[in-house]
Amino acid sequence: MKDLSKQHLVRGVDHAAFPTFDPAATVRFYRDVLGFPVVHSICAAGWGPENHPDFIHFFFDIGNDDRIAFFYYFGLPQPPSLGKGDVYARFDPNTPDFFVRSRHLAIHVDSERHLLEYRRRLDASEWPVEMQIQHETIESIYTHDPNGYMVEITRALRPVTPQEDLDANLTIDALVDIVDRPGASLDDLLTRKAELIVERAAAWQEQQERLVESPEGPVHA
Amino acid sequence: MTLRLFVLDVPENTAVAEVAGRDLNVAVTRLGPYFVIESADTFSIDRRSTGCRHAVWYSCVAGLAGCQITQFDKDALRLEAR
Repeated sequence: MKDLSKQHLVRGVDHAAFPTFDPAATVRFYRDVLGFPVVHSICAAGWGPENHPDFIHFFFDIGNDDRIAFFYYFGLPQPPSLGKGDVYARFDPNTPDFFVRSRHLAIHVDSERHLLEYRRRLDASEWPVEMQIQHETIESIYTHDPNGYMVEITRALRPVTPQEDLDANLTIDALVDIVDRPGASLDDLLTRKAELIVERAAAWQEQQERLVESPEGPVHA
Repeated sequence: MTLRLFVLDVPENTAVAEVAGRDLNVAVTRLGPYFVIESADTFSIDRRSTGCRHAVWYSCVAGLAGCQITQFDKDALRLEAR
């Protein structure tokens, strides 16, 4: 049998699950506005030693057979808001917005036309696009779903190059090396990363050039 | 000690290396897929000359050897000996 110990075997997102206190609006947003099909749902009676409420677990297809899923618990009151956040994560009003927004779901589309189609659907709904941002390499639209979860739809303006995969790996190795130092900073990371570039970049380039000459072509790190 | 700034060679970053190299005290070489922008002394790169918008500008530095960033804003990136 083939050795699996070093293989990358996973196949994307089976489902990412979130609680909702407004399932009707959640269905309007994902199914009716965005057009994500309902692909699965479970109606479950509460069970077990705890006083578990009855619940519905329901799933929408987000493309590529990946799914976003929700739990609706009958009779469970929504926790009171502290000021910022969503129906699950509560933050006081002084929490910086960049931190609150840092957790979000980004869904991929293949083209500008497809991105703008989702913009059109959202703008005609109760949840219009709040931001459309184009960096040099990506373009994204953002809104919040009825539960306060931030949803991004994004497209790449060019494919990721092999050297960006190398660079990402050097960044992460440098980060792991320095992050436990007291007061670790970006300066520490960039200094450590320069050492890793000196150690590895030339050999990586030679390996890529050998791969270009081979029938398989260059591969990502 | 030589100041070395490493910048990944991707399409958005080529102008950073090109603009840096206009300074006669700065040499631009290559190490694998990185530009190595080096100088014996303090140097700076003018953002507007690079044409970089902010997302790329503020993420163009891949590594620092023998130097530290003393200015990194919408106007310029400045490196000085550590």
